Formats: sequence, structure tokens, C-alpha cells
Amino acid sequence: MIYLDNQATTPTDPRVLDAMLPWFARDFGNPHSAEHAMGRHAADAVEAARAEIAALIGADPRDIVLTSGATESNNLAIKGAARFAAAGPRRRIITLATEHKCVLESVRDLAAENFEPCILPVGRDGLLDLDRLKDALRTPTLLVSVMAVNNETGVRQNLAAIAGLVHEAGALLHSDIAQAAGKLKFDVENPRISLASISGHKIYGPKGIGALYVRRRPRVRLSPLFSGGGQERGLRPGTIPAPLAVGLGEACRIAAAEMGEDEARIAALRARFLERLGVPVVVNGAAGLPGCLSLRFPGARALDLIAACPTLCVSTGSACTSADIAPSHVLTAMGLSAADAAATLRVGIGRFTSPSDIDAAASLLAAAAHIPAEA
Amino acid sequence: MPKMIFVERDGTRREVDAPLGLSVLEVAHKHGVDIEGACEGSLACSTCHVIVDPAWYGRLAKATEDEEDMLDLAFGLQATSRLGCQIVMTPALDGLVVKLPAATRNAGK
Repeated sequence: MIYLDNQATTPTDPRVLDAMLPWFARDFGNPHSAEHAMGRHAADAVEAARAEIAALIGADPRDIVLTSGATESNNLAIKGAARFAAAGPRRRIITLATEHKCVLESVRDLAAENFEPCILPVGRDGLLDLDRLKDALRTPTLLVSVMAVNNETGVRQNLAAIAGLVHEAGALLHSDIAQAAGKLKFDVENPRISLASISGHKIYGPKGIGALYVRRRPRVRLSPLFSGGGQERGLRPGTIPAPLAVGLGEACRIAAAEMGEDEARIAALRARFLERLGVPVVVNGAAGLPGCLSLRFPGARALDLIAACPTLCVSTGSACTSADIAPSHVLTAMGLSAADAAATLRVGIGRFTSPSDIDAAASLLAAAAHIPAEA
Repeated sequence: MPKMIFVERDGTRREVDAPLGLSVLEVAHKHGVDIEGACEGSLACSTCHVIVDPAWYGRLAKATEDEEDMLDLAFGLQATSRLGCQIVMTPALDGLVVKLPAATRNAGK
């Protein structure tokens, strides 16, 4: 098997797995059991992990709330910020048509709570037109949610410019950084972000854990989604899964140390892949994350290409939407026709992709692309 | 003498004398209003959490980061939540209205 779907999920780094294992059985204490040594031992491990997560994005450990993943983080950030400010005058919540479904649906769901969703289009390059944002911000806005790197195209939004406009308008800025964290340098102070969502399994950590950065200076307040025992500053009650938290911490530590090396290697593999492919393809969207390639094979159908290469793991879109027959909402928002979207494959190169994986994948796809699509 | 109004948990409004220089927590204790104040104003708990009437909130001196840290632990936090021990009566606060929250959390229990 050749795995080139690293935006859907990444393999757990063996070093992460090693770090996690003791916390399942031998050191199984509940990190909230402050009365005894085993509980405190687990709490110390969770806090060390929290510090690694914070360090990766230039935050303070106290800014980090552990969640079950980026979907929960995005829900908590968007619905939590809106509900906390529900008594205030600002109703508008702005996001982009190319955001992850969980962001779009969170924003849309708030319409039922008397908020005003405002979903902005993007250009053919996948980028937000800043003038559009300026116009949208003329209406008093509570929150703007813009992802750092798109999960289908790798397109990187200009968060620095966006943050300037959002803060000038007195709104909060949330960013889904699930695809960017640990891969591109990201610092919550530059540009200044109010809320940011992280996922463990997109950065070689375990599935089932993520984090939400919640700015404390100046303070960003959220209403929790769940009722419970007050863990995580009351924002996210529930027992912290210590093994998963330790894994996320170790994944962040490794990413911070090896990001530069990883990204240089991945960029070289991307160039090698495009060079070896040898069939005409179009790369969708502006340049962004090198490991995420949205490739259009004119005249071919992506589903046929996938079927012709059973040993290759690539996808037509994001994992959550690729089971749908409907064309990707990201590609259609960028102005691609349904046929062009259906001719697009997402190729995701990661830390554990080898040059021989790249060569084999390129020749498999090149051979498949020469098979005429069924009429 | 300045006055202030406590809105009790059942909605009852109690207007009381609020001497200058006393904190809202001290005013409450002076008049037997049910606010706990477990740490006696040393910014080590959130049991004197009050919800300031939105019309008054903007007139208070801004909360410090230490107070915000304690408010993080308050139950039922709202956009105009403050700690009673950190609001000190001044002539400008004559008529201040604060509501008691539905419940408090004593971190020491």
C-alpha cells in the first residue's frame, strides 16, 4: 500500500505511540484525582503535554483546552463564543465557503439562535478577497472564522491581513489550524488570533484528541458545550484521556523540532511527484502547504483513477465528504465546474512518505490517466 | 451615603447603604446579603461572583488578569461577571446594580 492521504489522517509516529503506551495500563490514574500519587502523576504528564502543545503555537499552557479533536474545538470556539456574547449587540458571524464542514455547519446552526451567518466566497485561487471581508465587517461582527490551510487544496489564507481587519472591527478571530499546526510556523501572537483549533491525528498524534487555544490576554470567553465537573477551566468538562493527551503533546514536541526538515523533504517530494507524473495536470488553488496537492486530470474521472490504482490511497476530497456523490464544496466554491471537480484528486504527502512511494504513485496514476474514462 | 442594589436569586431587589471605599463583598456582608467570599477578598476564589447590570458594567474599572483568572473558575459566568471583592464603591457607583448568580463554586470544597 502507498499512503498519500495525509490530510485525511496521518499515521501515529512510533515515538508518539511509545510515549502513550505506559499511560493506558501501568500509569492509568485519573489526572483529576488530585488526592493520590497516581492521579497527580497523570496530571503532571497531562500538564507537560499541554506545555508542548502551547509551545508549538507560541501560547501559554493555560490557554490550551483539550478536546476530542478539531471538530469539537471548532464547535466550541464558534458556538461557545457566540453563546457567551448572546446578550450583546453583535450578531454577525463570518466564515468562508471553503471552510471545513464542521465550521460551516456550526456557523449555519447559529442562525437558529438569532445570529446572522455570513459565508464569504473565495476566488479561483481559493483565497479570500480582503475587500469582501472589509465590506462584510461593516455590519457589527462577533466572530470571523478562517482556516489557516485548507484541507482539500492546501491553500493558505493571508491570516496576517485578515487579523488586522478583524481586530480593527472589534471582532474575534478563530482559525481552524488543524492542517497548518506542526507543518508551517504558526504563532498565535503574530498574527494575533483569538481562538485556534488543533487536531491530534493530523500531526502524527492519536485520533480522538485535539485542542482549542483560547486567548487569555485580552480574555476570550466561551460558553461550554457540555455540562459537567468543571475540568479545563469549565470550558470542556469530562475526564482528560491522559494517554491521548500525552500523545498529542509528544506529537507537538516532535513537530516543533522537526518541522523545517519535514517540510523541506515534503516540498522536494511534491516536486518529484509532479515531475515524474508525465501527464498534463492542473494544480488547483494558490500555492500553500506543499504536502497537499489538489490535482485535476483533465478528461479523466478521479473515481476511475482511484479504482484503477487499488494499492494507492488517495482521495477525491476531504475524508468527511468523499463518500458523497456531490462534488466537493471547496472546489465548487473556487469556481470549478462539477466535471472539473470530479476530475480532481487530493494527493497528501507526509512525514513517512518515501521517494519510492512517490515514484510508484506517479507511475500508477500516469498509467491510469491514459485509460480513457468510461463513456 | 451611596446606595447599591443586590438582585437576589429569587429576583428580589434589595437596596442597601454602600459606604465609599467598601467593596461590594463587604457591603453584602454588612447587610447580610448571601455572598460567600470564602477567601475574604484575597483573589483566591470565585465565591463572591456577581453579575453586574449591563448598564453599570462599563463604568467599573477593568478587571485585572488575576481577577479574570479567578472568574475562569466561576460557575455560570456571564459577559458582565465580576468578583464582588474587586468592585470598590466610589461616588460614581451610587445606584450600582448587581445580581447574585444561581450558584457558586468553592474550589476548596
